[in-house]
Amino acid sequence: MTLVVTSGLLLFALFCFLIWFSLPVFFTETTSVFSLKWQPEQGHFGILAMVFGTLLLAFISTSVAFIIAMGLNSFCLLSRRRWLVTLLRTLLRFMAAIPTVVYGLAALFLLLPLLRNGLQLGSGYSLFAAVCMLILLILPVICVMLDNITAPLWQQYALGAQALGFSPEQIYMQVILPHCRVNIGGAVLLGFNRAIGDTMLPLMLAGNATQLPSGVFDAIRSLTAHIALVIATDQGSEAYNSLFAAGMLLLMCSACICLLSRYLMGLQRLGQPE
Amino acid sequence: MSRLIGYWGRLCALFIIGIMLTLIGFILFKGLPTLELSLFFGDTAPLAAMMGLQPVWEGIWPACVGTLTVVLCSVSLASVPGVASGIWLASAPDKPAQKVFGLAVDILAGIPSILMGLFGFSLILLLRGSFFPQANASLLLASFCLALLILPYIACATQNALSSLPKQLSVTGAALGMTQWQVTYRLLLPQASSGIMSGLMLAIGRAAEDTAVIMLTGAVANAGLPGGLLQRFEALPFTIFYYSAQYQSQQELNMAFGAALVLLTVTSIIFTLLAAVSRRRNRNIFGSANSRKRNIYVR
Amino acid sequence: MMFKTCSVRLMTIVTLLISSPLIADELSPFDEMSGQLNIAGGTAHIPVMKRAARQIMGHNPDIRITIAGGGSGVGVQQVAKGLVDIGNTGRALKNKEMNLGLNSFAFAIDGVAVIIHPDNPVNDLSQQQIIEIYQGQITNWRELGGQDRQIHLFSRDEASGTRSVFSKKLLKGAQLAANANIVPSNGAMKTAVSQDSGAIGYSSVGYIDEMVKAPTYNHIMPTQEACASGEYPVVRRLYMNTKGAPEELTQAFIDYIYSKQGAKHIQASGYIALDAKP
Repeated sequence: MTLVVTSGLLLFALFCFLIWFSLPVFFTETTSVFSLKWQPEQGHFGILAMVFGTLLLAFISTSVAFIIAMGLNSFCLLSRRRWLVTLLRTLLRFMAAIPTVVYGLAALFLLLPLLRNGLQLGSGYSLFAAVCMLILLILPVICVMLDNITAPLWQQYALGAQALGFSPEQIYMQVILPHCRVNIGGAVLLGFNRAIGDTMLPLMLAGNATQLPSGVFDAIRSLTAHIALVIATDQGSEAYNSLFAAGMLLLMCSACICLLSRYLMGLQRLGQPE
Repeated sequence: MSRLIGYWGRLCALFIIGIMLTLIGFILFKGLPTLELSLFFGDTAPLAAMMGLQPVWEGIWPACVGTLTVVLCSVSLASVPGVASGIWLASAPDKPAQKVFGLAVDILAGIPSILMGLFGFSLILLLRGSFFPQANASLLLASFCLALLILPYIACATQNALSSLPKQLSVTGAALGMTQWQVTYRLLLPQASSGIMSGLMLAIGRAAEDTAVIMLTGAVANAGLPGGLLQRFEALPFTIFYYSAQYQSQQELNMAFGAALVLLTVTSIIFTLLAAVSRRRNRNIFGSANSRKRNIYVR
Repeated sequence: MMFKTCSVRLMTIVTLLISSPLIADELSPFDEMSGQLNIAGGTAHIPVMKRAARQIMGHNPDIRITIAGGGSGVGVQQVAKGLVDIGNTGRALKNKEMNLGLNSFAFAIDGVAVIIHPDNPVNDLSQQQIIEIYQGQITNWRELGGQDRQIHLFSRDEASGTRSVFSKKLLKGAQLAANANIVPSNGAMKTAVSQDSGAIGYSSVGYIDEMVKAPTYNHIMPTQEACASGEYPVVRRLYMNTKGAPEELTQAFIDYIYSKQGAKHIQASGYIALDAKP
């Protein structure tokens, strides 16, 4: 038992260490980090454009992934072709196992040439390309969560609702979904967290330009990609400090989302009749 | 309105299946032709390369070995504390200490992997600056940071597996005069082993694919076979990233696709094992006692 | 023990017989050595370092040489922290960096040139045009006599020595447009530009081959000869940096780079070799 407690405390200590590490940077930070301009040659080290890029990337990909996930979820519950449903469920779980770099590689040589030469949409390195692949990345997260929430509810209510004259589609839209609105919110937040935290896809596909995008086919840089690119600069410079500000923002963001989504997912247990 | 969701569902299903077939087909199409001995060993003799007698250039063999080593190291670093904290969490889930700790595990699980890399990087700078001047970005550091990344997966899986066992089991054990230690190790852990195994496998998969962490903590483009815990190494995901962005010849591009195929195969094997284990788990004598455990497939 | 030494000798003799005596001579300092040599930094240097490492590790497998890129910033940062033995930079050290106790070894001359896709009909760009392109004032190739196609800007990350040379000597400190795509190395720059017919980027002259095209700059072709003679103005030296005096293996490596064999590697990588500082 001592072993258990010790390792528990060790983990806890590590965790505190992680937070403590980035805190001082955050407090001693000058306001220069919170501006839109990133021009190291001219002495501007603002990371707001990256913050904006990250949020935009995560918002778009999560909302699209959510809409698709709803469709897939309804298909899993409603379709009469059970083999197709089994295939889909296996595929979704398998998608969670595919390495991120493999997605990046496939997009680099499949999606980007299409955008660049086929559709003539700029250089191809864009918000759009990163969003496309991020959707594939977070789709299994949201989908499997949704499936776990709705499948037991379906078993519980389908028969009764059918007796009342609901069609299967109506049961899904008007009985199941309203029942687990809050939990769905939790699942979506987890997907959002994953989208914010991913490094490789934005780094490989989004172009890393430090601008505010004016459309989905413009290049952006995410906070995670910013860390990967800027860790190379000399220590102690302002560029290097911006790294820790970015890290702290990411940490706080992900911690808050985590807490919130756990809270929402937890409501499920309370809100459900035994 | 309600009818639309049916059509939308069918459309999405077809769409996703189509996209994934295209993507995987593309990797297979590009990767399969490159699968030759020369992909792994370049122009070095395979046997000499495997024994580490001769350095391998233009081959992904060192990267394969590097990935294998770093995964093994990180899993062995993370498994004991991971399983232990899982047991502790499951032993009394409603005590305040466990609650706070559970929260910490949750947050740790959600932290972006690049932050782990950043953490490792600053840790090494700190160590060098203070009491351990030989510290360097290395295999050990990368494994440590990866271990930090996968630890919550193992802890969560253990906790889930234990708390899904029926309560009677531990009560009966106690009634038979077993100590709490004995109940845990003789009774609960064997029953929960398949759940813990799937957590471990998930952790292996995660450690094998992560690029952001090792990129900042010791993976380099050229190192040869890993020479020791305190040396730099090559790794498959980093190789893919490196050569896909900056191939100078068709041959280097082929290496990227070959490495991608190898990595994909490895993760598929882990996935298949995982599926097999969880199927067996559902057939065990207690069934799946609770269906509402946290899902560990996706985090 | 005796036997082993003998067999090593024998091996050496065999090697001597097979390879030209010159190679063996210049690799012979590595005979008795073992250990690890970490190299990181400037991405323009990687081809030279790789060629040299290949020869040395092939000659004596007990030596491990690891090569990482990252850019000049990484080179300075990591060598100053002692994380690597040799930190490469594609620019001279700044005064602040000199104070960290670094020793610089310039070994090659290299130019930084603008590169475009080989299918792009534009053949000459003046300095003014390049500045306007990178400031975002010229946005279409038509304005430069090319096809009606948008210009896709590619630039390097903040740690890059190539970027700082380009920005200082060619752009004259003009502000870079924010919509430029950022790539992390010379190799990535070449790959990105070679795939995109509307792209413009800049890279080390050593990286230019048939995959990309270098337009003449103020009517001067950026070849290595033009760089060496000073005719092409955007040039720099490639440096290896060590912290304090180099250790044995590091010193041997540096000597090897300065040897005739090393000069061949430098030439094969597309740079002009420099002699060691007297």
